[in-house]
Order: sequence, then structure tokens, then C-alpha cells
Amino acid sequence: MNTDDDVKQFVTGVVSLQKDPSRAVVIAISHDAVFDLKEEQEPKAPAAASGVLNPGPGFPFVKAVQRVNEKLVEKNPNETLLFDVILLSSKDRPKSQSEVANSIKHYGLEITRLCFCNNENFTSVLRSNKVKLFLSTNTDYITKAQDTGVPAALLYGQRGTATLDQLRVLFIGDSLGFSEDTTDRPKDEDTGEDQLQSVQLTQSSLEDLVALIGEMRRKFGRENSPLCACLMTVCSPRNVCVRALKRLRAWGLEVDEAFCLAGAPQSRLLAHIQPHILYDHGLQYTLDVPALS
Amino acid sequence: MSLDSRQAVATHDGRADASVAANGDSKGSWGDTEDSYGHSGPVNKPKSPKPENAVTIAVSSRVLFRTETEQKVFEERGVEEYLKYQVEHENEPFAPGPAFPFVKALETVNSQLRELYPDSEELFDIVLVTYNHAHVGVRLINTINYHNLFIERFCMTGGSSPIGYLKAYHTNLYLSADAEKVREALAEGIAAATMFTPEKLIEVSDTQLRVAFDGDAVLFSDESERIFKTHGLDKFFEHEKEHENKLLDHGPLKGFLEALGKLQKKFYEKGHRLDCPIRTYLVTARSAASSGIRALKTLRAWGLETDEALFLAGAPKGPMLEKIRPHIYFDDQMFHVEGAAEMGTIAAHVPYGIAQKHPHKKDSSKSK
Repeated sequence: MNTDDDVKQFVTGVVSLQKDPSRAVVIAISHDAVFDLKEEQEPKAPAAASGVLNPGPGFPFVKAVQRVNEKLVEKNPNETLLFDVILLSSKDRPKSQSEVANSIKHYGLEITRLCFCNNENFTSVLRSNKVKLFLSTNTDYITKAQDTGVPAALLYGQRGTATLDQLRVLFIGDSLGFSEDTTDRPKDEDTGEDQLQSVQLTQSSLEDLVALIGEMRRKFGRENSPLCACLMTVCSPRNVCVRALKRLRAWGLEVDEAFCLAGAPQSRLLAHIQPHILYDHGLQYTLDVPALS
Repeated sequence: MSLDSRQAVATHDGRADASVAANGDSKGSWGDTEDSYGHSGPVNKPKSPKPENAVTIAVSSRVLFRTETEQKVFEERGVEEYLKYQVEHENEPFAPGPAFPFVKALETVNSQLRELYPDSEELFDIVLVTYNHAHVGVRLINTINYHNLFIERFCMTGGSSPIGYLKAYHTNLYLSADAEKVREALAEGIAAATMFTPEKLIEVSDTQLRVAFDGDAVLFSDESERIFKTHGLDKFFEHEKEHENKLLDHGPLKGFLEALGKLQKKFYEKGHRLDCPIRTYLVTARSAASSGIRALKTLRAWGLETDEALFLAGAPKGPMLEKIRPHIYFDDQMFHVEGAAEMGTIAAHVPYGIAQKHPHKKDSSKSK
């Protein structure tokens, strides 16, 4: 694996179930989304133990992903298509390193490495780690990742209520459902060449990601699956939702749940759907989503 | 995301004109041209109202359409085969189900409301809420397109309970083929009823929405039913006379009658009292001379009214309903629902109250 000279990595010592790194679905997630950082704010609850951080909004996601891996390996001990979660941090302080390592161990998280990066090398860190999906609660970072062609999604945070038993992934379909004809696309002034280009760049990586999720999903039956894919269109008419369904299907994923809001307020519905992550290219349709609660 | 309401000039079949103003806030254009059934016509359809302003009617796929064949596949061969079957037949639209005429009638009322009040969001909003998996979604939307229904919102919950979604959509009425789901909804305070696919369906009006309600345990609570069931007819009469001036408690469908009443007033205000496209009926086994008075006084005290009140004093409801031809008739007793359905009336069961524990036997006395 190629790493830049000034990119530091911290190996956590957790042994991954991953047998074939080339098949891994690498998901990078900001470490401050997985854990509550004590240095920056008053702790919301007393620490679980000394030197251990409290769970953050991305914590249920990590647990749910782990369960998917466990179930995949249960079905096939030689399974190579597994999730591989890595943490990204902009903090390069020994204290923070050991806190993270302790916390990972304490909660039994299957995280193999923590990568340090800053604004400059952020995208090359994603590339060199072959990250297929980047997750954050920070919309700027999400946009940044998307702009360079890495699919990125918002961590949906309703602390304490997200399920740990099933990984729930929600795709916002309004942009997926537009036809190839660009006259169909949103007509606001921001939609310039750059936007279209970034959509196209991310599109093929998104297709790959969707195909992999679809492949994983197919290993489980309709019911009691540890992985659930959902589609939602926020303000488009029903046929756009159907086109999005068909597009995802063409890429290899049959979603389980579908919602067409046609302008109805999102937040109540999202609070009920409880996705762990929300994929919305350009974050155009998720402006009023509570990232943290 | 808030979307500004916009001018919608509706033609009488409910579709907006090309002169609809663009919505400045919307990220997506409503430009959805031809669907696969060649329904093109105007590029912009009227926008769906905000749930809190509208009267939201949630219907399940099994009552909106006829899905008996598919149901059979599900029951006999399991969920995977069922989904495969649905996908294979994706481009074959379903036939209309028992809730279809009701939904069509709601749309007729909507187009008239849009004509009279172009800026108002006080309309019916029909949402498809099904616990089908999204695989079936394509076929369902294809069917909606085929029948040219104006249903823009749907929830396919992939097997989980739809009840939470009903609340998120401020649902005013939920219609389903599944009595369990209907009971759950009622327990959550949402008006709901179970619909069945009838053998025959008599024709209903396509210009006027007609909704008929039983009284006890539908509009009103089941308190009087309880007296009747435990102590018999005479005690019931006595009780009602004594309590003539005491209001009955409200039943699960009271709110829906109220919502209909609000829309009716909008027509009255524009001079359409006599030819109002919404008409409501009370069809009760109470008798006009005695026990009916309490019912009427209660309605009046609530500020509600029905256009017609039919006191049958125990006579069978079937023939009366056959004359009324409602798009839907709500009753808490399966006996009445079945009786009505036998004569072709679209009847829905409200599984509420004491009648569910002591179902009516066909040969026992039924006069009240």
C-alpha cells in the first residue's frame, strides 16, 4: 500500500477478519464522529472508564457494520467481501492516540487503523487507503470528498436510538433518478460544469460501492438481514423515485425500503427510518437533517 | 425543506395547466414528462400539500388495488417467490381494489377545491403506505401511472410496521386489508378501517364523494353498545333516555368526520351548499324517536353534522346503503360490514370496542 511520506498511520492491533484486502469495502470515518472528544467540549456523560472516550454519533454505525461482517463470515468463513473501517483524525497527539486505542479495545471495535491527515493531504489519504466511502458529520468534508470523486455520506445522528442490530443505509434518490438528459437536472445557478463533473467523477465510484453493497445484501434473505438499504426522494415526483429504484437495481442493489416524500417534511420520517448513514450527492436534499442530536 | 406554495390553476380533471408558476425553492424540477403509459399532457402537475395542512388518507396496496393472485403466491410460496413474481410482472398494472373508487372521489373533490381555492393546501392528500418491499414499488407506481391517480407520496416499509410512518405523515385515515395493522393504528389514535375485496361492486357517483358512518363505536364511543350487550335492549333504551343530555364520548372516526366537515364548509362559503361534492351520512341502528336523540345532540354539541341521518331502529342496513351508494361505509360490526358487502356496498370494518369481543350472531335480535 502506498502512503505519502508525511501521512502517519497508527495501527490499533485489532486483528481484522479481512482475508483479502483487495476485496475490502474500506470505509473511512472521522474519529471525532465515533468518539466524543473530551478535550474539546464538556463531557456529556462521565467517561466509561478512565482513558476511554464516550461513544459519538458514528458509534452505532461501527457496531452495525461489525455485525454485518460477523454475519457474512458466519455464512461463509472464507468470505472476502467484508467491510473495513478505518478512522481519520486531524489530531496527532500521543494522548489522543492512546485514548483512541483504549477505546477501540474497550468497546471491542473492529478497527484496524487510525490515519492522521490534514486539509492538504485529506484526499490523498482517502485515495491511498482505497477508501470506498467516507463518512462524517461535517458537511464541508463530505463535499470535499465528493468533489474529488470519493463517495461520501452523512452520519445521521440520533444519539441513543440508532439500532446496533442492522446497518441501515439511506440513498437520497432525487439526483439518482434524473435521466441522462441534462435538461432534467436541477436548474439552480450553482449547477455549473464543476458540479456536473464532480457528479460524473463520483458516479462510477458510487456505482462500484452500490454494486458491492448489493452483493453483500444478496447474501442475506429478505427478512432478518443485518444490512438494509433504503431509498428516499425528497422533493421529486414519483417517477423520479421509480427511476432511482431502477438505477440502483441496474447497479446491483435492490433496496428494501422506499419513500417518496414529494415535499413532505423529512425530519419526522428520517427520525422513524433511523438510517445510520445518508448518501446525498452534493448534500442538496438534506439541508435540514439533524446531524447531531 | 420548505417549499413555497404556488399558483396552481387546475383543469376540472385535476391536472395543472402549463401556466403553473415555477417554484423558486424547489431543487428538482417537476418536469416529469411522459410515463410509460403515454400519459404526458402538461409538464407540471399540482404540488402535493404539506401534510399538516391536508387531510391525509393513507391506503395500503391491497385495498387500492386487487392483489389476490400475488397474495396467494406469498402465502403458498413465501416472500422470495412473491417478490420474484412481482418483479416478473412489473409492467402489468393491477386492477382497482375496494378503496379505488373512494380515492378517485377524493381526487374529484380536490380538483374542485383547487378551482375554488387555488392557493390553499386544505386538500386531500393520498399516500400509499405499504409494508411491501421496494421491489414491488416499480409495479405499484406503474399501476398508479396506468390509472392516472394523483398519488405522489408513498412509503414502502419492506416488512416493518407502517404505524410510525402514519404518524409522521399526520395521517387522518388509514385503510388497509390487514386487521392487525388497523388495530395498531386505532390504538395510536389514528382513524383506521379494514377493507375487504367484495364479490360485486355497485356503481358509485363520480361527481360526489359519499361517506357513511355507523354511530356507536365509530363516531361515538362504544359505551352504549356495552350496555346493550351486557344488559339487553330495554336497559339500553332506559340508559339512553336517562342520559339523553349527556354527550356521548367520541369514537375513532369522529376526527375524520370533522375533517370532512371543514372541507364541506369551504364549498358552502363559495355558494355550493346544495351541490356540495362531499356528502356525509349517519346510518345507525338507533331509533329516531328515542335513542337517536342523544346521538344528534352529541353531534350538535361537537359542532358537527352529517348531511343525512338514517335511524333504522334495528332494520337491516343493507337496503339503505344500497340506495345511498357511499364510496365507503364505516361500521364496527363485521355482521353489518358483511351484510352491506353482500349488496355491493363498499364497507370497511372499524375493529373498535365491545363488538370485537362479542361478535354479533346472525340469528339474534338486533334492534336497538
